[in-house]
Amino acid sequence: MRYKLWFGEYDDGSVRISDNLKKSFLNCFNSEPIPFSVSEVGKKTFGDEYYSILRKVAIEVARELVERELKREDRYVIALVRALDEINSSVNLLEEKLEEIREVRDGRLASEFERRIAILKSFRGEIEREIEEVMRKIAPNVSEIVGEKLGARLLERAGSLKKLAEFPASTIQVIGAEKSLFKALSRLKRGKRARTPKHGIIFQHPFIKTLPRRKRGKMARFMAGKISIGARIDYFRGEINEKLSEEVRLKYERLSRN
Amino acid sequence: MRDFQGTEIMHNLFIGSYDGKKRLFTKSGYPPHYGERKIGDLREWMPQRSKLGALFLKGKIVRFERDMKVLYLGCASGTTASHLSDIIDRGILYCVEYSAKPFQKFLKLAMERKNIIPIFGDASKPENYSGIVEKVDFIYQDIAQRNQVEIFVRNFEFFGRQGSEGLIFVKARSIDSARDPEEVYSDVIEKLESHFKILNTGDLLPYHKDHIYIHSRWRG
Repeated sequence: MRYKLWFGEYDDGSVRISDNLKKSFLNCFNSEPIPFSVSEVGKKTFGDEYYSILRKVAIEVARELVERELKREDRYVIALVRALDEINSSVNLLEEKLEEIREVRDGRLASEFERRIAILKSFRGEIEREIEEVMRKIAPNVSEIVGEKLGARLLERAGSLKKLAEFPASTIQVIGAEKSLFKALSRLKRGKRARTPKHGIIFQHPFIKTLPRRKRGKMARFMAGKISIGARIDYFRGEINEKLSEEVRLKYERLSRN
Repeated sequence: MRDFQGTEIMHNLFIGSYDGKKRLFTKSGYPPHYGERKIGDLREWMPQRSKLGALFLKGKIVRFERDMKVLYLGCASGTTASHLSDIIDRGILYCVEYSAKPFQKFLKLAMERKNIIPIFGDASKPENYSGIVEKVDFIYQDIAQRNQVEIFVRNFEFFGRQGSEGLIFVKARSIDSARDPEEVYSDVIEKLESHFKILNTGDLLPYHKDHIYIHSRWRG
């Protein structure tokens, strides 16, 4: 049997040592468990140096991967969210057109058209899953509090994880409600009475949507505060803090009870 | 060191009283990693920051030998790993983490310690690092994910050998937030029992809420 090891290829007892250890380290996928211990074979090849060589390669590879990862991931999510919106509106439009064709002639062309729309729809699902996965990685706290989808949308509006982390909670609360916010502010400036919006896109979260109207503002304010803290942890430390989402859940339970 | 009176319960692991409180330390030739105190050559192990620390401070014993090979899934920024690396000072600690931010901090630790092999990868896909990690004596897992039990078993299939031990921390809410935690736990234990002999389980109160640990031995 052949196995790919980090230092080369194993083939029935003999090892062909890789001439680029970093490359082979990154490419040592084996679909099945290896029946022997990698270090045994490695020590035959490298002797006592085995672990120090492994360690050196591992650190070098990890540093490069981390650096690359940190640079790109939030932009990737933003691009995906925008693509998703575009696909959504395209799907809607195309479905209308399909209906128009169907009304006149429901033939081979119409069913072919339908099939292609279905492909686009399943592709949309793929993008959604990718967004969720990346969000979990780069913004675990925000994802935990509002969910990956809504979190990604907040990130898209903010422009980057850094900007989202720098936003005050009150801004996060009304992201997506800019129009009504500025309308209200300009009225207030002119000395008239007006109400600023209670919530922007975080309204879509079930914890806010399902509450009675008069409690939504409270919940939105609380949630925005926690999102803001979460975004900062995500940006600066990246570790998950389970307390945040827990507090949001408790607040919701308290509000929905009375 | 003046006020510390303690006993070594495992290689380089000390428990005893200091400042009038029961505390845990590992003997370490390295500087603090996460803001913990260092008293002489002892680094304080803060139970609020580390589930393994909480476990030891509660008096539970999960035995690590100093020359063990350990696979650590979900090492985050390396709080627990730093102490584990003190204990298994002649062993090897393979650490897997897929989140870049904490891993950046972890890398500082990895560069300082001779016994840590960092792997930036997804613990749910052991096949991706199957050509790196050897057969290990112990697999430690602390990742709050819905399929964490499957991930644990899958890693044992790749890197466990007969008699390897494992420690898994389970958070009920991340497996199923709607169900009763007790039900979730007994489900998890039942699932594990088909692959493992369960050695011990319990909670981590008062240091960590909503978590249990399960110490087990792989049947191979």
